[in-house]
Amino acid sequence: MNLVRAELERLSARRFVQLMVVLLVLAFAVTAATTLAGSHKPNADEMSSARAQAAEARRDLEATHQECLARQSGTLPADTDRYFPSDCSEIDPIRQDRLPIPADYLPGVFNFAEQAQPLLYFLIAFLVLFGFLVGASYIGADLTSGGVVNLLLWRPRRLTVLAAKLGTLLGAVLVLALLASVVYLATFWVIGQAAGLPGRLDGDFWRSLGAVHGRGLVLVLLASALGFAIATLGRHTSAALGALAAYAVVWELGARLVLEIVDARKSDLFMLSSHIGAWLNGGARFYDEQLCRGSTDFPYCEGFYTVTWLPALLVLLAITGGLTAAAFAVFRRRDLI
Amino acid sequence: MSAVIEIEGLRKTFHSLRSGRRVAVDGFDLLVEAGQVHGFLGPNGSGKTTTLRALLGLVRADSGRMTVLGEPSPELLPRVAGQVGAIVESPQFFGNFTGYRTLRLLARAGGVPVSRVDEVLDLVGLDDRGDERVKGYSLGMKQRLAVASALLKDPRLLILDEPANGLDPAGIREMRDLMRSLAANGVTVLVSSHILGEIQLICDHVTIISRGRRVATGRVDEVLAGHDRHELLVRVAEPERAVELLHAAELTAVVDGGALVVSGVSDPTVVSRVLGEQGLWVGELTPLRPDLESVFLELTGAYEHSSVPRQVGDSSLPQGEAVIDLDRGVDA
Ligand SMILES: Nc1ncnc2c1ncn2[C@@H]1O[C@H](COP(=O)(O)OP(=O)(O)O)[C@@H](O)[C@H]1O
Ligand SMILES: [Mg+2]
Repeated sequence: MNLVRAELERLSARRFVQLMVVLLVLAFAVTAATTLAGSHKPNADEMSSARAQAAEARRDLEATHQECLARQSGTLPADTDRYFPSDCSEIDPIRQDRLPIPADYLPGVFNFAEQAQPLLYFLIAFLVLFGFLVGASYIGADLTSGGVVNLLLWRPRRLTVLAAKLGTLLGAVLVLALLASVVYLATFWVIGQAAGLPGRLDGDFWRSLGAVHGRGLVLVLLASALGFAIATLGRHTSAALGALAAYAVVWELGARLVLEIVDARKSDLFMLSSHIGAWLNGGARFYDEQLCRGSTDFPYCEGFYTVTWLPALLVLLAITGGLTAAAFAVFRRRDLI
Repeated sequence: MSAVIEIEGLRKTFHSLRSGRRVAVDGFDLLVEAGQVHGFLGPNGSGKTTTLRALLGLVRADSGRMTVLGEPSPELLPRVAGQVGAIVESPQFFGNFTGYRTLRLLARAGGVPVSRVDEVLDLVGLDDRGDERVKGYSLGMKQRLAVASALLKDPRLLILDEPANGLDPAGIREMRDLMRSLAANGVTVLVSSHILGEIQLICDHVTIISRGRRVATGRVDEVLAGHDRHELLVRVAEPERAVELLHAAELTAVVDGGALVVSGVSDPTVVSRVLGEQGLWVGELTPLRPDLESVFLELTGAYEHSSVPRQVGDSSLPQGEAVIDLDRGVDA
């Protein structure tokens, strides 16, 4: 407990951590301020006009669908001017992900229900980066400056010392991420209420937002542990940064190209980014034209395959867990100079 | 007396891609008993820091047996860690913290009451500088802070690696007084150094290491006595004639500078009688006692390789503040 308290003090005193927190607050303030400045509460005229436009757009969709069906069945002559898909169900309004709503026709009006998810994604992306960098620099700087050696002279139990550091890091990052996201969403909710539209904030909305939030926090923790583990293995903060850059260039770009050239099947499965996306969104669909090659149901083969959140999470956990375990194993025996 | 530190046959090899295999410590033995202020003397690169690191569990020894306060190290070191204060090579502190905050943090991590921080700052003479940032400290002040951190635990055993580095002469003297007062209070101290005069002044016991091996150990005066060659420095008006007279009296003598060095005489009066009988009056007659420096140079083999010819008369160091860097001599 004492160790954790001391570590917490060290962590919060790190210049780099302070800088990242300032950046977070700054990015947050800028986003909120520009949103606030560019939004206003719609008056009755705007509202009714937007409602009318949305209703018309929905009618248009329906009409197009009906026309498509009519042409297919031959009730109407084929029209060369307009394009219709061969399968009219593709444009069936009932099968669309989302239909036009009045909010789409209110320029300059911030709609919380519509914007909350993308805003949250942005915050999570920042926090993932934050966690990775802070995790790496926290242990990296301590290893290079001899802070760890100092501590080990006091507490000659290496695994306890390293575990206290990792635990403190994860706890602090989690608290900060929770706090940041709650303040962040609350601020935009207030903007929606006061200078825009709250939108449809029903149970479905909160459930799906909550799910993204929870999965995002898990990702933030995984990134922090990963940065910590790689920096421990490489003895330097820069090891983690280098590994990240090398992975992005060599694997996500280079290997992806090679896999395409050699016609590997489902090459997206080899990419960490696919699993991150699949985990964060609760699943992801990828396209591979080869899936259709030699397929018997050819005209109907779409060439898509999905990754669900569970295998994606398992992949991320295995990689982070494996590297963390390796970091502890190496740290237990290594010469600390 | 009970052993506070025991090291037997310690061996440590470093492997690196660039310089290959390097044996840093090669079958080294060390015995420090309770209440000693034990000097651990050796030129730069002789393996002092590596030995202390291995003892404190920071590097893994290839082989050897070590105990600290009776517990095998590093396996059971955690049992006694609370009674061992140590610094190994100048520790780096977090520059943004004040000295006080640095120590408070360590005190917390080690479960020491925070009130102890002011006491140790006072002990090392940083009392009124404790609320300044460490990055503004001079090398000597950082060194004091390091010693303060080792003292926080109120240790029974204090291990200091080159604590006098960067200290000014007054600082070295204060450090010496501090160690003496600690020893008087029953603390066992192991101080490593390449600074000879310092060890001779502070320590009652010494172990000399050279190229990873122990070359001498014991009470400082005994180590010196073992190397007493019973030489005399003699100044007379006509050195050449004096040498002839002494040779005639079957004594070994050589001219060195403006003086004579006579060896193998246990009784100095013989020399003054032989010369006086021939009308050569002795102006100065000094027994050449070995100091730790010459013993050290002899043992570590630095003497022969020294690029600077040393004169007999220069052999004793100005007391206290002498800082001799033997690295060049040894590696040459
Ligand atoms: N991490 C290391 N890697 C390779 N060689 C090392 C390392 N640490 C020390 N050495 C070598 O071990 C020898 C002893 O070094 P050290 O114990 O630091 O000497 P001292 O403290 O007596 O000056 C030196 O030759 C040094 O170059
Ligand atoms: Mg050293």
